[in-house]
Amino acid sequence: MRSLFTIGFFLLVLFIGLSWIDAGKRPTPLKFTVPPNWPQPRYDFKHNPLTREGFLLGRKLFFDERLSKDATISCASCHQQFGAFSTYEHNLSHGVDNSLTTRNAPALQNLAWQSAFMWDGGINHLDLQPFAPLTAPNEMGETLAGALRKLQQDTSYTAMFAAAFGDSAITTQRMNKALSQYMLMLVSCNSKYDKVMRGEASFIMPEQLGYAIFKQKCSACHSEPLFTDLSYRNTGLPVDNTLNDYGRMKITGDKKDSLKFKVPSLRNVAITYPYGHDGRFFTLLNVFEHYRKNMVVSPLTDSLLQHKMPLSNYEIGQLTAFLYTLTDTTFLKNPLFAPEGYTVTPVFIHRH
Amino acid sequence: MMQRHRINNKRGRALPARLQLACSIACLVIVTIPAGGTQPKDSIPASQHTFTIRFRNKAGSRELKLFGETYTNSFGEPMTITRFKYYVSHIRVAGTDHRERPLSNRSYLIDEADPSSKILVLPYPGIAIQSITFDIGVDSILNVSGVQTGDLDPLKGMFWTWNSGYIFAKLEGQSDSSHAPAHYFNWDVGGFKSPANASRKITVAVPPRGQMTTASGIVIDADLLKWCDGPHTIKISQHPLCHQPGELAMQIADNYSTMFSVAP
Repeated sequence: MRSLFTIGFFLLVLFIGLSWIDAGKRPTPLKFTVPPNWPQPRYDFKHNPLTREGFLLGRKLFFDERLSKDATISCASCHQQFGAFSTYEHNLSHGVDNSLTTRNAPALQNLAWQSAFMWDGGINHLDLQPFAPLTAPNEMGETLAGALRKLQQDTSYTAMFAAAFGDSAITTQRMNKALSQYMLMLVSCNSKYDKVMRGEASFIMPEQLGYAIFKQKCSACHSEPLFTDLSYRNTGLPVDNTLNDYGRMKITGDKKDSLKFKVPSLRNVAITYPYGHDGRFFTLLNVFEHYRKNMVVSPLTDSLLQHKMPLSNYEIGQLTAFLYTLTDTTFLKNPLFAPEGYTVTPVFIHRH
Repeated sequence: MMQRHRINNKRGRALPARLQLACSIACLVIVTIPAGGTQPKDSIPASQHTFTIRFRNKAGSRELKLFGETYTNSFGEPMTITRFKYYVSHIRVAGTDHRERPLSNRSYLIDEADPSSKILVLPYPGIAIQSITFDIGVDSILNVSGVQTGDLDPLKGMFWTWNSGYIFAKLEGQSDSSHAPAHYFNWDVGGFKSPANASRKITVAVPPRGQMTTASGIVIDADLLKWCDGPHTIKISQHPLCHQPGELAMQIADNYSTMFSVAP
């Protein structure tokens, strides 16, 4: 009998305890919407469910310059919202101590659909991506331990980590999961092109003609709806003898991958200039000139470009009109992506 | 356990870690109360449930000391060592029947700079151990699944950030034979993708005297001089640096896979 009472008592305590625990705050789930007619995302949300608290933490980290060695550079320094999260008007990105990177910061958009990152695809998971710019001596130049220490000493971070992950432990895994949550939400799917596809708008004549030319000449690589097939291709860019960047070959060690770079998305292309992995093309016209005239064709050049790409001035005009329809102002001005306290990313973020 | 199920169904979602912990503690309390504090009949003293493998890093016959000490490889190249770390994964043992029994699926980082990392406490297999097998490497799936924790935390400095993947083993130091800046030599070996998969399976025999002491523990010696001298000749003067997966990493991995032996 006595043991029954004992059991009953402990069950009571258990239930009271449980209801107390359950009253504790849980992060609020955040919905990720796959636009109609888009493929399923590649990112595995099961291992990192999106929450409001995780997103807000990721956003704070993304804009926090203290994460760099000398507290001058944040992720947002080179990934600016008004440039579709590329570095606006810069060919090569700037790092700590007046250093220069060797590549053009790519736009950050629709990352949930990608499974490899960087121009050479060397990073195989979005959660791993932030380690590279954080630790590279010509980017943020910080150590992982140093970055974690700064976060651990800041009570606003311990509170935000607790809200997002249940307790205040600050780890590399949590830091990067939060950053992923912010970056995963950077979906650009509301350009004029998208509205036309959804039947909410219609192209004007040059746009329509440009779209037809695009489908004929460009979409084999810049395939819809992401406007990239995420492959790596040699497009006849001669190597720069100061950068000596051979792209994909550095990752695979395969000579056939020499000078192959990831096909960039053309979404928001009008505002992500300069173009190319090293930002060597300052305008769209420079890119068209490369494809129709300046390409250096070798046996390793992509099979689709062995005869360069003939383009008339007329076609370039129409194509340009079409490419401008890929600018998504909803994305560029979404207040959700701006740092806390701002409705748009402030200009001071752009300090270079 | 009944309560756990009911709560689970009612809410229809996974229990948070805090809740699970609280449940487990509560259940444990409930289960142990009627027993009145008496020991279960099949209880064995804790020391017999586990046994330890201790990794003892050496340079030739001398026990390794980081910094200061100078060692010489078989090509007469002097070296001082600043870092020596490697991942030991999938430890399994075999008895007289030669059947491998897994003891742990974890990856352990053996770090010369961290004495506690060199002692692994494992479940005692209950057999006379004839051989121990393990991998120097990290499972390929863990190289492609985002940020890991514990010994596999990229914070441990054993992860390539620009070409995702673990460094399986690292030997760093200085040598007058090195022509690299500041006479450093720096061998970071890894690579999980074919044909540059640097993961190596190691089997070491446990000598008869060692078998008698398996209940208490086994000492595995790792002789770092073998990094230079094994199936391949790796001279510091020729290859002071290895920083990426590929042929050199594969050759160094072949070499260091011969560095282990059970201490007599």
